[in-house]
Amino acid sequence: MLEATAFPVAGPLKALVPGVIINEEKILIDPKKPFLCRESLSGQSPKTGPAVTVSINGKAGVRFAHTDIRVPDFSHYRRPDVLNPQKSSQESSESRKTFSYLMTGGSAVLSLYTAKTLITQFVTSMSASADVLAVSKIEIKLDQIPEGKNMTFKWRGKPLFVRHRTEKEIKTEDSVNLAELRDPQHDKDRVVNPKWVIVLGVCTHLGCVPIANAGEYGGYYCPCHGSHYDASGRIRKGPAPLNLEVPYYEFLDDDTVIVG
Amino acid sequence: MRSERCTDDMALSKTIYNVFFRRSSVFTVTIVVSTLVFERAFDQGGDALFEHLNRGKLWKHIKHNYSEKTEE
Repeated sequence: MLEATAFPVAGPLKALVPGVIINEEKILIDPKKPFLCRESLSGQSPKTGPAVTVSINGKAGVRFAHTDIRVPDFSHYRRPDVLNPQKSSQESSESRKTFSYLMTGGSAVLSLYTAKTLITQFVTSMSASADVLAVSKIEIKLDQIPEGKNMTFKWRGKPLFVRHRTEKEIKTEDSVNLAELRDPQHDKDRVVNPKWVIVLGVCTHLGCVPIANAGEYGGYYCPCHGSHYDASGRIRKGPAPLNLEVPYYEFLDDDTVIVG
Repeated sequence: MRSERCTDDMALSKTIYNVFFRRSSVFTVTIVVSTLVFERAFDQGGDALFEHLNRGKLWKHIKHNYSEKTEE
């Protein structure tokens, strides 16, 4: 009889925890429960499962170690068609396979639908429609801006400076020594046509709107913290770290420019 | 009676298995086609449920009230 017992072993070392005899819990006998497998005997007999079996796949010997660990009865988890070991499983194979494939196919359908919906959402949000794209561009008539003046437009919710430079300003900005600039950038790299400077009217320090034709360098002056920009929109003095940002623009002809 | 139903069920599942699931190619086609059907049913069913729950609140339910006024 295999009982879950533990005995203290006499030895030189004293056991930290005194050995206790664990009484095996009472097993409720359910006589209606069918014999389905070796493990389901544990609900049937007052003892644990048989210690010795004689069968082809049976245990070869008796293992006394860990006899207090009861092997659970997994019958609840098995398909009812194959619960009975006496019955041939072949005749239920079609219905079992149908069930499995139905589950697989059903989850495949659900995931395909989810994937399709997600991809559609992303693609439709990424490809902007024509009216949205049209709003993002601005066409500016340059003949309205006299020489030496700066005009401000609203573009994508931000102020856009368009400056008609004089010959003197062009010459001054062209000859600036790059070594004395905080954000070295040549004037040629910031303009397409040297007569026109198109920059975003957002101070690179904290985002105020600079004042045109002001400051020590005659370009832009930010009143918030005193950043001075030159007539090319480059930072020359004050706390701002970078030059005024140049958006993408192209000239349709000499008098029309499209920004965006 | 139970055995009869059992055999009926088994015959049905056998037919379904042989027709839809046996070949992987047919299985794939089955999945794709039933996704199309499911998508249509699910989307339209969801819309119908939404309109049923919001009956009388949507513009298309109250539109006729206002179009009549403009005609007068």
